[in-house]
Amino acid sequence: MESPFPKSSSSAGEGRIIVDLLPNRLSTLEHISYQYPLKLISPSPKTDQPSVLVFLLSYGGGLVGGDQVNLSVEVRPGAKLSMVTQGHTKIFQSVSPHVVTRQGLQVELKRHAAFCLLPDPVQPFESSVYEQIQTFNVAFGASLCLLDWVTHGRSARGENWSLTRWVGRNEIWASEAPKLSKPRLLVRDAIVLDGKERSTQLRTLQESMYKHAVVGTLVLRGPMMKSLGDFFLSEFAALPRLGARDFRSAETRQKEAATPRLPIETWRATRLAQEQESNLLWSAASVRGCVVVKFGAATVEAGRNWIGSMLLQEGSLEREFGEAALMCIR
Amino acid sequence: MTCGGKAAIEHQEQVGKTTESSSQDTTSPTLTLTPSSTPLLQDPSHHYLLLLSDSALPLGSFAFSSGLESYLAHARRTTPSSSSQYLYKPSFTSFLPLSLSSYASTTLPFALAAHRDPGLTAELDDILDASIICAVGRRASIAQGRALLSIWEKSLAPSSAVSADARRALEGYSAVLRSPSSTTAGQNASEEEGEEVLPPPVSAHLAPLFGAVARLLGLAARQTAYVFLFSHAKALVSAAVRAGMFGPYQAQKILAGGELRVLLADLIEREWNVDVEHAAQSVPVMDLWIGRHEMLYSRIFNS
Repeated sequence: MESPFPKSSSSAGEGRIIVDLLPNRLSTLEHISYQYPLKLISPSPKTDQPSVLVFLLSYGGGLVGGDQVNLSVEVRPGAKLSMVTQGHTKIFQSVSPHVVTRQGLQVELKRHAAFCLLPDPVQPFESSVYEQIQTFNVAFGASLCLLDWVTHGRSARGENWSLTRWVGRNEIWASEAPKLSKPRLLVRDAIVLDGKERSTQLRTLQESMYKHAVVGTLVLRGPMMKSLGDFFLSEFAALPRLGARDFRSAETRQKEAATPRLPIETWRATRLAQEQESNLLWSAASVRGCVVVKFGAATVEAGRNWIGSMLLQEGSLEREFGEAALMCIR
Repeated sequence: MTCGGKAAIEHQEQVGKTTESSSQDTTSPTLTLTPSSTPLLQDPSHHYLLLLSDSALPLGSFAFSSGLESYLAHARRTTPSSSSQYLYKPSFTSFLPLSLSSYASTTLPFALAAHRDPGLTAELDDILDASIICAVGRRASIAQGRALLSIWEKSLAPSSAVSADARRALEGYSAVLRSPSSTTAGQNASEEEGEEVLPPPVSAHLAPLFGAVARLLGLAARQTAYVFLFSHAKALVSAAVRAGMFGPYQAQKILAGGELRVLLADLIEREWNVDVEHAAQSVPVMDLWIGRHEMLYSRIFNS
């Protein structure tokens, strides 16, 4: 018997979000739709919310081998969207290396639009095969903050980079810029981790990660991210030099430690001690109009604390997008 | 993968042998003092193969350690009590395969793509510039790329063995590189509020230029890939010697070793069909080590 219901036009795992700007300068959710296994939730808007908040979820908190999720997002001129998750995105094992679990995200940022994507890290389980392709088309004057990070798996179960294959690609394209006939690639951040198909001369994937439990990338672009980008660059420049010696006498050292310091200096000293302790390595570089920050840490929590500390200390994301946008990195 | 790579190299050797035996028929059996009409190198591209693989090729590769110096510095953890302990025991036998794997996965697809079509060099250069997201790494790549382009223009292209078409192949590329938009765009624009910052059209990265130049000099794709990766291995080994990790005999032993040959063949096999859109970092910590080279208090290398 033929189904009496109209056929669904969207296919499994597809989702779409459109955010627009109301005449009263408030960002609003113009459209939201999704299909299993993707789930999107947006809390009812408040009148004072600086940006629209969307939770990117999946049923059961993860993606089963072979799941395909594809989300497309449009942020219209001047509107602001922040997207978060609830807990790690778990990637379950695939029955064979050919069954690929995929997550795709296409984002269109129109003029002076802004998008803040600060999710929890992705957690690939043993024998998982995952591909995550995120494309951001950023128009003139638009702003983007993108965090992408991956953990070593379920450490409680002894997993440590036990995945079969991981592909992560983030592309930032300049679109709609003056003197630009077609979109131009600004930054492509791509990682491929192969746990199984390795040359006999290469060490295991786990060994090649040098005790990092999490690695991540933060990409910042646009006028709204200018001060945050500058903050990362100046903090990177202010890092103590490796192998430097302290030539001060014990007396001066004591005297200098006793003199009162600026709040930022106290914060920095605490952060540096934590970086040292959790073997957190990071670098920041200005690349083709974007600031790209790379980091790795010995524990997932140390990585989260570090990125949270940096973003909260600088404070502009919280002001521009609201407290809730940063909930995953607190 | 291992078998495939080995087979390919053996196949090349076979081809070399057959040409040798067939050309011997033409040599006269009498001893003469005049140069024989038989060229010593049957394939003219072999001459350029030797040239491009020569460590005396003035690319300035000796100035870069591709993260080795930083890797050594990061191994030592300095505790507040000023006694130091190792986070990991630095070893060249660990670093060399990782560095080669990372170098192959990020840049070899670009060298191979430029070898397939040298006309795409400018486009590939722009994509690679977007993909090297590390200030130290891009400086190293651009410094050597510019040096190679100068060598091509001043020394290799004028050679009589290079066809007129090949000589002109990179002219457009150089013109774009030397146009004012390449040198000034980006730096000035960022100061002006409201002006969109777009990067220069080309930057002269090493990988695409190496692929293009190798093609224009008649090298086969696999030869190009092999020389490209082997040069990286040689530069690393040479950096290790100067960093005091081991002496010159050990250095040659590593370069001559069967492990390196197997690794190079495996890596070439791995990247052979990877297009530039899918080129990616295979060793994430390498980006951290290279990116943090600037943090070293004392340095002997530029990367």
